[in-house]
Amino acid sequence: MTKSAWAWVWFAFLLALDIAIPWYVLTSVEKVSGAFLFWTIWAAAAIISAFIILLKWRGVEE
Amino acid sequence: MSATFWVWFGIAVYIAAGLGIALMARRRLGVGVSEFFLANRRVGGFISALSYSATTYSAFMMVGLVGLTYFTGVGALGFELTYLCGMFMMVFFLPRFWLVGKKYGYVSPMELLSDRYQNKGVGATTAILALVFLVPYGAVQLMGVGYLMNGISGGAIPVVAGIIIAVVCAIAWSSIAGLRSVAWTDSFQALIMIVTSAVVLGVVVAALGGFGSFFSKLEAASPGLLTVPTAGGAWNINMFIGLALPWLFFLISNPQVSQRLFIPKSVTAMKQMLGGFLIFGFIYTLISVLWGFSATLLVPGLENADLATPKLLSLTMIPTGLAIVVMIGITAAAISTIDSILLTLSSVWARDIHKGLINPKVSERGELRVGQWVIPIMAVIAFVFAWWAAGKTGLNFMIAPLSAAASAGLLMAVPTIFGAFFWKRATALGAMVSCITGAIVVLIFQITGFRPLGWWPGTWGFIVCAVLFVGVSLSTRPPKEKAEEFIGYLRGALKKGNFI
Repeated sequence: MTKSAWAWVWFAFLLALDIAIPWYVLTSVEKVSGAFLFWTIWAAAAIISAFIILLKWRGVEE
Repeated sequence: MSATFWVWFGIAVYIAAGLGIALMARRRLGVGVSEFFLANRRVGGFISALSYSATTYSAFMMVGLVGLTYFTGVGALGFELTYLCGMFMMVFFLPRFWLVGKKYGYVSPMELLSDRYQNKGVGATTAILALVFLVPYGAVQLMGVGYLMNGISGGAIPVVAGIIIAVVCAIAWSSIAGLRSVAWTDSFQALIMIVTSAVVLGVVVAALGGFGSFFSKLEAASPGLLTVPTAGGAWNINMFIGLALPWLFFLISNPQVSQRLFIPKSVTAMKQMLGGFLIFGFIYTLISVLWGFSATLLVPGLENADLATPKLLSLTMIPTGLAIVVMIGITAAAISTIDSILLTLSSVWARDIHKGLINPKVSERGELRVGQWVIPIMAVIAFVFAWWAAGKTGLNFMIAPLSAAASAGLLMAVPTIFGAFFWKRATALGAMVSCITGAIVVLIFQITGFRPLGWWPGTWGFIVCAVLFVGVSLSTRPPKEKAEEFIGYLRGALKKGNFI
């Protein structure tokens, strides 16, 4: 698979977690350590993944 | 002196500072359409990042998201962070928009679509979509400012006065020097937004005994708000998808933000823009949601959740001076969004409707003049909508759902945009039929409240739109030569820059 395809798969996986964990795993956890903490870590993971990719960009005209 | 006096004083200082910055920007204004609407594609990374942040984050966050969290709990965090996760798609779209923008000289995202599909009808269709659905989104910003000024002044400043102030500032910021004045004032406003909101959160959390105590009190007082679906029944999966789906694709569906993908001056500036925005967005989202939760503890029982922020800022624990500075920060957030919307709509009207359909031979000067006239006209339309909606109550007229409803309409352009970059077989007819039909479905479902299977209007519209886009494209002839050239160029350029 190309790098681009891997990135799309990773993105789809993140979106699947976005629904699966809060609604099916943490639905009875009425604490800050439940959905609140999950979504915070989950978004941080998405941001870090984007950074990993964008840091490899190089100037095409520089 | 009374709080109302200080509110007016704060507003006056803010307007004076913004006006000063906009006029400074005007000194560097060159000539031409690309200069006015895109600052000649020469914007640095720092300004690009702050301007993108201020344009994206609006009254929606510190008024709407706070209210939504107050009313419905932690699902609001998931919903907003889903948007931020959607920004991961920037690693695909930012370089693509930027590269073709430079190569073909596109001024608006709609012009890109017209050229790629070799049909001006595609640009005009998506332009009309933007004109229809960005008005309520712009109006939401105005409502936010109105509520806020009214709340902080204890009702002394009418909601409509706040709305008028926001309209006048937005017209000024966008007219004075186009994108230059918008980007510079945006950057100033983004800094006010994040610093002031963080300071208030610090004060509130300290008053609640620190983060540990705050979270313990929250778990004890409102445990139902910390899970999904919430105890009150909000945030079932249909509601989440209905609200989050338009947000997920906001980066490409909303032209006032996708147009910004044309402006960075270099790859380095592009990296700084995306990286800076992701950090800003993460922090600002957490602050907004924590404000909402703190309001559930400190000002419980509000009937209109959009008043959570004004009520929070009216508490005696928040010094009046700080509350006024924060009010300015939120006003700045709203105005920085609506001025960008006005600027984008004016470029879309001038380039994609006036030049594209009405008068193809118009001079660049004439095109610019048309665009500048559109700014106040769209502002007045948004004002009328805001005035009307501000008098209504209920979930559908809360700032956050109203914003998501507007974005649901814009979502209908998403398959067309994906097709432009990734599918050579995509056709103009597929694009137009899918956008128009999808938008009609969204409007009908939105107005009638009809929700088969409990799915929200944006969800249904998107399904209909995507199916039609693929189906009609497969049964019509694509612009083969342009598709090969456009996607072929991107393939080579992406490889060169190590983009994916």
